[in-house]
Amino acid sequence: MTPPPGSLLAAQELRKAYGPTVALDGAEFSIHPGEVVAVMGPSGSGKSTLLHCLAGIVPPDSGSITYNGRELATMSDAQRSALRRSEFGFVFQFGQLVPELTCVENVALPLRLNGTSRKEAEKAALTWMERLEVDDLRKKRPGEVSGGQGQRVAVARALVTNPRVLFADEPTGALDSLNGERVMELLTDAARSTNAAVVLVTHEARVAAYSDREIVVRDGKSRDMERVV
Amino acid sequence: MSRGQWAKDLAMGVRFAFAGGREGWVRALLTAVGVGLGVALLLLTTAVPNMQSVRHERESARADIDYSYTDLKKSDRTLIVADVDTDFRNEDIRGRALEPEGARAPLPPGLEKFPAVGEMVVSPALKRLLESDGAKLLRERLPERIVGTIGESGLIGSHELAFFRGGDGLAPYIDGARVARIERFGDTSPTETQTDPVLLLLVIVVFVVLLMPVAVFIAAAVRFGGERRDRRLAALRLVGSDSRMTRRIAAGEALAGSVLGLVFGTGFFLIGRQIAGSVEVFDVSVFPSYLNPSPALALLVGLAVPAAAVLVTLFAMRGVVIEPLGVVRTAKPSRRRLWWRLLLPLGGLAMLWPMIGQGRDNGTFNEYLVIGGVLLLLIGVTTLLPWIVEAVVARLGSGGVAWQLAVRRLQLSSGTAARMVNGVAVAVAGAIALQMLFAGVESDYTKQSRYDTQRAQMQVSMSRGSQLDPAVEKFQDTKGVQQVYALAEGYLGERRKDPDMGAEMTVGDCASLRQAAKLPSCRDGDIFYVSNSEYDEDTPKLAKQPGRTLYLDPSYEGGPPRQEIAWTVPKGLKPARTQEDFMGMQRGGFLVTPKALPAAATPALQGQVFLKLDRSVPDAYDRVRNTATAADPLSYPMTWYSTQTADRYATIRTGLFVGAVCVMALIGASLLVSQLEQLRDRKKLLSSLVAFGTRRRTLSLSVLWQTAIPIALGLLLSSVVGLTLGAVLLRMTATPVMVDWTSMLSMTAVGAGIVLAVTLLSLPPLLRLMRPDGLRTE
Repeated sequence: MTPPPGSLLAAQELRKAYGPTVALDGAEFSIHPGEVVAVMGPSGSGKSTLLHCLAGIVPPDSGSITYNGRELATMSDAQRSALRRSEFGFVFQFGQLVPELTCVENVALPLRLNGTSRKEAEKAALTWMERLEVDDLRKKRPGEVSGGQGQRVAVARALVTNPRVLFADEPTGALDSLNGERVMELLTDAARSTNAAVVLVTHEARVAAYSDREIVVRDGKSRDMERVV
Repeated sequence: MSRGQWAKDLAMGVRFAFAGGREGWVRALLTAVGVGLGVALLLLTTAVPNMQSVRHERESARADIDYSYTDLKKSDRTLIVADVDTDFRNEDIRGRALEPEGARAPLPPGLEKFPAVGEMVVSPALKRLLESDGAKLLRERLPERIVGTIGESGLIGSHELAFFRGGDGLAPYIDGARVARIERFGDTSPTETQTDPVLLLLVIVVFVVLLMPVAVFIAAAVRFGGERRDRRLAALRLVGSDSRMTRRIAAGEALAGSVLGLVFGTGFFLIGRQIAGSVEVFDVSVFPSYLNPSPALALLVGLAVPAAAVLVTLFAMRGVVIEPLGVVRTAKPSRRRLWWRLLLPLGGLAMLWPMIGQGRDNGTFNEYLVIGGVLLLLIGVTTLLPWIVEAVVARLGSGGVAWQLAVRRLQLSSGTAARMVNGVAVAVAGAIALQMLFAGVESDYTKQSRYDTQRAQMQVSMSRGSQLDPAVEKFQDTKGVQQVYALAEGYLGERRKDPDMGAEMTVGDCASLRQAAKLPSCRDGDIFYVSNSEYDEDTPKLAKQPGRTLYLDPSYEGGPPRQEIAWTVPKGLKPARTQEDFMGMQRGGFLVTPKALPAAATPALQGQVFLKLDRSVPDAYDRVRNTATAADPLSYPMTWYSTQTADRYATIRTGLFVGAVCVMALIGASLLVSQLEQLRDRKKLLSSLVAFGTRRRTLSLSVLWQTAIPIALGLLLSSVVGLTLGAVLLRMTATPVMVDWTSMLSMTAVGAGIVLAVTLLSLPPLLRLMRPDGLRTE
């Protein structure tokens, strides 16, 4: 199985089952640097599982995933963790910010996990918070900010390491349309400015509209969509 | 608000307590087991007074020899009882020889008929011991045929070793002390014994110290599942419950858990009660029937535990605002105030202060003030700890990621952290204070005995008038005996009855007499008098009156008739100088070698045999006891120790240590449950942290810091409070304050060990929760 030429991250013939439930059944995926790909599909179709497999969080039962020419299956858990720390960024539906840390500490966390000193990590974090227009929240805790603000903090956290791939799992799922659109604008702009690839899992067409390409997952199988403009 | 609505809300809470499938049941079960263990311990405590009174009643009911001489004539209603207590490998065995003098002689409790001569009725525990392989020596000493078992009414504990055997020819030995003629069993003039105030203090503090952590544990147990409950209540708010209704529903949930806990607790108690019948602690055993809780106290437990559960739940919900869209905890809780938290321990000290220096002789301590003072000081730990944790963690600087995650979490919810270690802190503080008190008063209750255990390790008191020489020969032939000294003792008066002047008479060979006094020279036939005894002024005067008649074993008014054997002070008595004898006494009187003693004097003398043993010979002590019984069934062997009661105190302290460790282990269990619950609630967050590459080691370390920081602060506070309380208690008993560092450090180490164990036990679930599966929502 050869990944498509020029792709940064690619998956072929992915299969994954949770007990009797088949989540992925021969799914294919590829993404190029700076590309935003929306993964769409109804609830329970296998979108999130595909994202988790691509990010090396969950190993597939079979199939191949290559990142920058390296096969993920050949990496140890520690190597995959290191990859996620340095090369990947994540945004989840509910932000999943650490409630006891302040917003700036949350954003700085991935850098600190990589060994960056606290001062430098928070300086970089503040730069990203400014870009995402949440720098005034730096001393607040997640419990003290609104959902939209929290999600922007989460995007800043995902981008602070300058990841080559950003995984966003329903990043606007818990937001109203206005906030959701603002978050998407900021997320895609920031990613494009750093040439990061974005894997965007969503079931909302208006969110998918921010992507360059759409893939639909249904019953564990993926299919490239022709965009109707 | 109608009562009906109240009832409906409570009932809904009860339903919720068990709802939620397997998880709901597990939560309810955990709460119930937690509350149940606490309830069982409380019920056991309420049963202790009854246990003591039943033991006391049984002891009173079988009382026979009261050490007073009453001139009771032989009749068909009388019984002669001889005390033939013995012991086997340091286990006391109560023994009585019974000689009924008529058909209507009283039967002791627990017997259906008198054993005949050559027969014996034994307690179940003694029967088991005699039938065991290692009891051959004891069987030699108690060779009588076993014809029955002593009933429960004749025993004070299930493990008591006791026997009754048939006696014969006991009448000549009646002295009211070892042998008595009686018409009935039972204490005829029970006296109210004055409890030693220090012992009372110890008992009170032991109870308060051991029960306080149980109360903290129960409070923690009813809060299991609190966060999930809050989310459930939020959902109810969404469908229209007002905040008061949600509180009532929460109260109903707590009530259900605690009522189920009461049922479990009763079950645990009943099981424990049966088990209690088969164990022995500090030589005290009980029958299950002794452990009946006092009805009023049991009712109090039954009402107080559910009420406390509801109050704790409502109190815990103070800082929580349950909104329809979720639970809102005040993001920045108001800063804790120190002043009222300090009031509690200070109030405790103020209650104890007036009793300082009272000592142990000037009446009793006010038990209410003691309980109140100790309680307030220990509750002070639970109120001060949250403030200290908050104040300290607010100042903690940043470190690595693990440290930062832990410190920030503690800063956000220092109260939860403090609550988790409160129980351990209270238990450690109480145990340190108690250990200090025990260590302090131990020296006063541990008397250095006067016995010279280098010269002899056993003494056998023979019955009056028995022949010493054959007994000495038997002892010399006994395996393990190195040296035998024998002295026969009597008392001389200048008149037959009620003498004003008197002197001791000690008879023995030269070697034995040299152990009792410094003799110039000695050969058989000599008589000496002790010239310089500090307390004996009569002997030198009497010794200077040769030819004067003295009477050996004079009679006294009100006492039994004595031998009154005439003895003439001989000429040419040699002076001897006093020295400490085997028993550390300075002996006075006349010292007589065997040839100088008239044969008629023997019945008036009581033989004492002192034995030096080779302690490397197995069972040397029990071999001597066997020889003593064979030589004289009414002899009384005694083992000498250089110190008395020290062993018992050491045992009590060990027991206390074990008790404190058990209580802390119990609290550790609740700590583990709370910890796991918190981790489960953070499952998604933990998974997402792992998703973006957080090392498992970092998260594990953060959990360790989260527990270690509050426990370190808790142990520090509990050491300060424990030392203060210990010092005050010691000052109350007028005992010099000394810190028992060993017990303090060991208690602190146990507390720290329990927290470490909890952290280690919570690591496997933590690692499981950190699996990426946690990110799945479907």
